[in-house]
Amino acid sequence: MTGLLADYLPLIVFIGVALFIATALLVVPFLVAFKSPDPEKLSAYECGFNAFDDARMKFDVRFYLVAILFIIFDLEVAFLFPWAITFGDLGWFGFWSMMVFLGVLTVGFVYEWRKGALEWD
Amino acid sequence: MAVGLTQYLVVAAILFTIGIAGIILNRKNIIVILMSVELILLSVNINFVAFSAYHSDLTGQVFALFVLTVAAAEAAIGLAVLVTYYRNRGSIAVEDINAMKG
Amino acid sequence: MNLAAAFFYLFSAIMIASAFIVIVARNPVHSVLFLILAFVNAAGLFMIAGAEFLAMILIVVYVGAVAVLFLFVVMMLDVDFAELKEGFLQYLPIGSLIGIGVLIELLLIVGAWAVAPSSPGASPTAVAADISNTAALGQILYTKYFYLFQAAGLVLLTAMIGAIVLTLRHKPDVRRQVIADQNARTPAEVTLRKVPSRAGLQG
Repeated sequence: MTGLLADYLPLIVFIGVALFIATALLVVPFLVAFKSPDPEKLSAYECGFNAFDDARMKFDVRFYLVAILFIIFDLEVAFLFPWAITFGDLGWFGFWSMMVFLGVLTVGFVYEWRKGALEWD
Repeated sequence: MAVGLTQYLVVAAILFTIGIAGIILNRKNIIVILMSVELILLSVNINFVAFSAYHSDLTGQVFALFVLTVAAAEAAIGLAVLVTYYRNRGSIAVEDINAMKG
Repeated sequence: MNLAAAFFYLFSAIMIASAFIVIVARNPVHSVLFLILAFVNAAGLFMIAGAEFLAMILIVVYVGAVAVLFLFVVMMLDVDFAELKEGFLQYLPIGSLIGIGVLIELLLIVGAWAVAPSSPGASPTAVAADISNTAALGQILYTKYFYLFQAAGLVLLTAMIGAIVLTLRHKPDVRRQVIADQNARTPAEVTLRKVPSRAGLQG
C-alpha cells in the first residue's frame, strides 16, 4: 500500500509546484505592478458605444448532444482499459463478453448515425 | 490501510447528508438537485471503495464502477429531460413539472 | 500522524467543504466548479484506499465529461438563477432539520457498527498482491460479473438513445448532401444542357 502511494508522490509534488506558480503569478502583479486607475481607462471600450448586451451568449443545444455522446463513448473506453491489460488471461469468454458489449454500443452508434445526430443541421 | 474504515464511513455519511440537504434546500433549481444526486452517488461510491479496501474484496470496486456508469447515464438523461422541458416551457421551474402527468 | 492519514484528512476536508459550497452557491456555474473540486478530492480518497483505477476513471468520466455536461446546460439555459434561489431561506429550517437528522442516524449506524474480527472474511475475490489494481479488476469484470457488465452496456445504450430522442431536433427544410445518391448516379440520369452565351438557363 505504501508502495502504491509512494508511486504517486511525484504527482503531489507536481500539483504543489503548479499551485505555487499559479498563486505566485496571481499575487505578484498586485504587489509589483504599476497602477494608476482612471474611470475612462477601466470602462469597456467598444468603438465608442456602450456594450449592447451581455458578453455571455447562450450555447446552442446541439453542443449538448455532442457532449452526451462523448460521455457514452468515454465510459465505453473506460471499460476497455482493464480488458486490454488482462487480455492475455481472459480467454475466449472474456473476449466475447467485451465483443457483445461493444456490439450493443455499436447498435447505438448506428442508430445515432442513421438519425443524423452527428450532423450539425 | 493507514486510515480506518470508520473515518471513510463518517466522511461518506457527511457527504450523503450534504446531498440530501442540497435536494431539499434547492427545491426550485433542478440543476443543483441533479448535482446533489451526483454527490449522493459519490458518497455511496466512497462507501463501496472503503469496504472493498477493508475486506480486501474487489467486488466493491466493480460495483462502484457500475454505479459510476449509472450515474453518468442518469446525469445525461436527466439533463436531456431538462433541456427538452426548457425548450417547451421556457423555464426550469420544478413546481410546474407536475403538469406533465396524465 | 503518517502521511497517508494527513492526506486523507486534507482530501476529506476539501471535499466536504466544496460539496457544501455546491449546494449553497448562488451562481450554478460556481456550483459546477466546486462539484469538480469535490470529485477530484474524492479521487484522492479512492487513491488512498488503493482503488487506483476508480480514481482515474472518476477524474476522466466526471471531471472530463459529466461536469462539462452540467456546465453546458447551465450556460445553455438562459435562466434567471437569482429567482430560483428565492425559496432557499424558506426551505432552510426544514432542510437543515432533515439533514441533521439523517447525519445523526448515519453516525449512529457507524458508531454502533462494530467490526467483528472473528466474522468470516467474506472475500470471494481477494486482491492479489502482485498485480495492479486495474489488472485485478479486469480479471473479474468481464467473466465473473458478465451480466452486470452487459447490463452496463445496455444502460449506456439506453442513455444514448434517450438523449438522441429527447434532444435531437432537425430543422425542417435543410437540404443535406447524400453522398450515396451522388455516387450512385449514372451518366444516363444526368442531363447536360447547352447554355447559350449571355442568356442564362431558363427553367
